[in-house]
Amino acid sequence: MARRSISLRLLTALTMSALLTFAAAPADAQKKGGVLRVGNLGEPPALDAHWTTASITETLTNHIYEGLFSLDRENKPTPMLAESYTVSKDALTYTFKLRQGVKFHNGKEMTSEDVVASLGRWGKQSIYGKGLFTQVVELKAVDKYTVEMRLKEKSAIVLISLAVPNNFGAIYPKEIAEKFAPEVKTTEYVGTGPFKLAEWKPDQYIRMVRFDDYKTRNEKPNGYGGGKTAYVDEIRWVPVPEVATRVAQVETGELDFADDLNLDSYDRLQKSGSARPIVSKPYYWLVAVMNKKEGLMTNQKLRQAWQAAIDIEPIMKNVAGGKSELYRMDSSLIPVEIPAWHTKLSGLPWNERNKDKAKKLLQEAGYKKEPIRFMTTQEYKWMYDFALLTKQQLEDVGFNIDLQVVDWATLVKRRNNSKEYDVFTTGIGAIYDPYHAVFLSPNWPGWTTDEDILRLQAELARETDQKKRFALWEQQTRQFFEKVPVIRYGDLFGLRAMRNTVKGFNESTERIRFYNVWLEK
Amino acid sequence: MFAYLVRRLLAVIPVMAVVVTVVFLLIHLIPGDPVSVMLGPDATPTQIEATRRALGLDRPIHQQLLGFYGRVLRGDLGQSYFLDRPVVTAIVERAEPTLMLMACAMMVAVVIGVPSGIVAAAHRGSIWDRTLMLGSLLGVCVPGFWLSLNFIYLFAVRLGWLPAAGYASIFSEPVSALRYMVLPAVSLGFNQSALIARISRSCMLEALQQDYVRTARAKGLPNRAVTYVHAFRNALVPVVTVIGVTTAVLIGGAVVTEIVFNIPGLGRLVISAILRRDYPVVQGVVLVTAATYVFINLLVDVLYAFIDPRIRYD
Repeated sequence: MARRSISLRLLTALTMSALLTFAAAPADAQKKGGVLRVGNLGEPPALDAHWTTASITETLTNHIYEGLFSLDRENKPTPMLAESYTVSKDALTYTFKLRQGVKFHNGKEMTSEDVVASLGRWGKQSIYGKGLFTQVVELKAVDKYTVEMRLKEKSAIVLISLAVPNNFGAIYPKEIAEKFAPEVKTTEYVGTGPFKLAEWKPDQYIRMVRFDDYKTRNEKPNGYGGGKTAYVDEIRWVPVPEVATRVAQVETGELDFADDLNLDSYDRLQKSGSARPIVSKPYYWLVAVMNKKEGLMTNQKLRQAWQAAIDIEPIMKNVAGGKSELYRMDSSLIPVEIPAWHTKLSGLPWNERNKDKAKKLLQEAGYKKEPIRFMTTQEYKWMYDFALLTKQQLEDVGFNIDLQVVDWATLVKRRNNSKEYDVFTTGIGAIYDPYHAVFLSPNWPGWTTDEDILRLQAELARETDQKKRFALWEQQTRQFFEKVPVIRYGDLFGLRAMRNTVKGFNESTERIRFYNVWLEK
Repeated sequence: MFAYLVRRLLAVIPVMAVVVTVVFLLIHLIPGDPVSVMLGPDATPTQIEATRRALGLDRPIHQQLLGFYGRVLRGDLGQSYFLDRPVVTAIVERAEPTLMLMACAMMVAVVIGVPSGIVAAAHRGSIWDRTLMLGSLLGVCVPGFWLSLNFIYLFAVRLGWLPAAGYASIFSEPVSALRYMVLPAVSLGFNQSALIARISRSCMLEALQQDYVRTARAKGLPNRAVTYVHAFRNALVPVVTVIGVTTAVLIGGAVVTEIVFNIPGLGRLVISAILRRDYPVVQGVVLVTAATYVFINLLVDVLYAFIDPRIRYD
């Protein structure tokens, strides 16, 4: 009897808990309200999307502004402010139909004249805009909701350039786009996005509040694009420069989310009962950029020797704090998260770990132990770590590496001057189109001026057939590992922390977005 | 006294002139460029040049320096490149948290330092003396940074008694302002209390060996009165100097504390300004800090006269 009553009670308990689970399910539905506090590492230099490539500006401005296109979950262009587009038969004219009834934060309707003014400004300042506008003959408003773009020659990069989230073609009201010259950052912030800027206190916080008149697309959320709903009343971005403090504040609940954490807090976050780690990918592939304009590294054999000598896995493992979840061994120049451009080529001279080959190449290069100036910074721990480990490995085969540790501001300044370094460290983030691979450009520090590489890049810009483009890109990748303009290490992932009360966060985008996110408090 | 004050104030002018010049040259001579930082690492050289022109950074350095002198004389510290506001405004906004932090840390340092020094001296060689001096040795040795992070971990993350980091103004939210201030003030103040404790102890010991203490004891005064009235007042002068010096040290220490506890004060402002190469802000903050330093020294000298009537400046 006693037994039966126990099993009865158990049954009742089970039923109850099942019922509770069902009852809990609707409570999990999206909820409006609350303040979402996000800790990030610093202060944006501007909230002008056209003006800077700084990633923090990218993250913040994408909540306030929108472009004609955005990226879907496969990181392909998808319309945002554009309703639809058509391309003429000769592929020289793009006609964009705009969505109607989209309001700016100041109440004005977004129309073609705003688009023309904004993209004109973007085309003069943004690296993506300038890249596209070298091919544009004319951009004009056809009617209130139609914009036409005429090109000099066939181009493969129109839509993707309008869709990249960094330094992006944000649409501002015409008055603002015309008031601020391209080289002067805007100080008025009016967009069409789901959040509007409420207050900006430098080094204290940036407050964004829900834009009640936001007109969402009817599709479901899809990557960066699709429907956007602002569930939280306010996003409060708090700069917290000390990374250990950011982690602690998520644990205590003072922050709901923290971005850009050191990988060594992964274990601590996994043990936390109130928050959890989020591994962000793509983050960066680590790169040693060679100065090909002057100095020792103009010697291709020397660059090949470097590529042959290094053993990448132990370097990556060390940089990732020993956690295999936080790095990936891959040779594709565009990460697997952008499937359209991920290459799977075999037989590439990547991660060869071949000391004999390296020594032979050093000899052929005529290298006589001249010091190679390798510039890095401790401001990004991973850069310093991989530079240090590289130095050890290279010196084992006979390189002489002069590791120069400077602060980030010095590094970004010096890397523009070909006299001041031979190699520098940085990371290559998401590249949504091969044309945008900066390390293959003659204008980016390191200066890739190899004719064969540039010729293929030019072809990639003109060719519009995806299959043919992919074949060109594979060819370019093979060429890359032969000519070695830069050294490709492995993929490093980023780390974020999120309270369990934050729901609906899309973990698979490169940078964080807080539309479609709600709080369960 | 008045003549002395005027003389001291006039002497400040050359000091400040040197500070202004050195600061300007130092920050401009270190490599790095505000424009490359602001435009992002991938900006093109033409873009960088255009923005440099817009900010007046393309002018020769001596012209920029002369312009800077002129502005400082007019009380204008220039415009921040990064923050889109005058440097003076930025400094005024950040002054409250730093002053608040320094005042609280100073209080902690004095409240811990002076009594432990006195107690240790009064019970010289006892277990009290040893424990307190060991504590103060720890205070000197432990890096403030390490202490701060451990305080956060223990009191905010594990125990949940206090917030980990942040700041609230004492004028608008007094209760949470104090809660935010406890950990930073203690971690900054504890470090400084060590020096104060050691100096207080040695000054007290010296005072306790003076003739007047022996006389007081011989008169039959209670030990307590001898220590805390007769000896203490006389031991105070060097202690006040140390407290003055400590205030200056606190300005430096506050930088680290402000970063760890995310307090939007002058220390954080200057560090981010250095990293961003926001020249006008760095110059402005260092100038104001140097002026404060000079002023505190002056204040300490004047205070001597009040504590020790034998000191007269004429």
